[in-house]
Amino acid sequence: MTTIELPWSVLPDYRCFGCSPHNPGGLGLTFDPHPDGVCTRFQLDRRFESYPGVVHGGLVGVICDETMGNLIVLRRGRSAFTVSMRQRYVAPMLIGRPYTCVARLRAGADGGLFHTTAEVLDAHGAVCATATATYQPFTLADARARLALADDELAALSAALDTTALDTTAPNGA
Amino acid sequence: MNPPTTPTDITDITRTVADIAAGEIGGGVQLAADTDLRAVQGVDSVKMLRMIAKIERAFDVELEDEDVFGISTVGGAAALVEQALRERV
Repeated sequence: MTTIELPWSVLPDYRCFGCSPHNPGGLGLTFDPHPDGVCTRFQLDRRFESYPGVVHGGLVGVICDETMGNLIVLRRGRSAFTVSMRQRYVAPMLIGRPYTCVARLRAGADGGLFHTTAEVLDAHGAVCATATATYQPFTLADARARLALADDELAALSAALDTTALDTTAPNGA
Repeated sequence: MNPPTTPTDITDITRTVADIAAGEIGGGVQLAADTDLRAVQGVDSVKMLRMIAKIERAFDVELEDEDVFGISTVGGAAALVEQALRERV
């Protein structure tokens, strides 16, 4: 399995808390192809603890959101803002244990919105959390006022996004 | 839009829900529509939520939390799925 290069990597100093390799306080998530969409593997340490030994639920939301958002970027070549997200916590996730988050695109896109789901699985494949979310795609030009991007960064990122979509026809781009 | 293999008839929905629940419980358990799932040995709240997660994914529906925690039987879960599918059309 090969880690997918994110278009944001053209920005030498992007600091996304979820997926940047340049943010020492972040999660540094990387993404791999998955038959259903994309996935990320992670193992969190005690910086992200809630109850003793248990991963903070907010972090689980971050990881699901990050995986679903990057699914749209990687499979559809669109950047998108999260509009809404529902999280369901099935079982406590433990500090220091490996987990996988798998994100999928749902059928029934309407009004230009993307609908997605995510599952967090433990090492045995048991579901620990699920999420559903809706995303609104945007063009970098339209969101320019809300993004801290220089002109050359905007151009480089736009070019990277244009060549990112692996397959825009299959339900999950698989 | 339903995936082509997603059942929409209550009988088929019930059968699929029973298969998912039995798979999650394991041990070759046989479940009827009126089986009290929470009374089945080995079924706890986590196992119930895992069943629901698989059911939601199989039918591509979202069930309300209040409904989920009220589910006690296969038939009850199937009825919620049928309602969610109807509301989606």
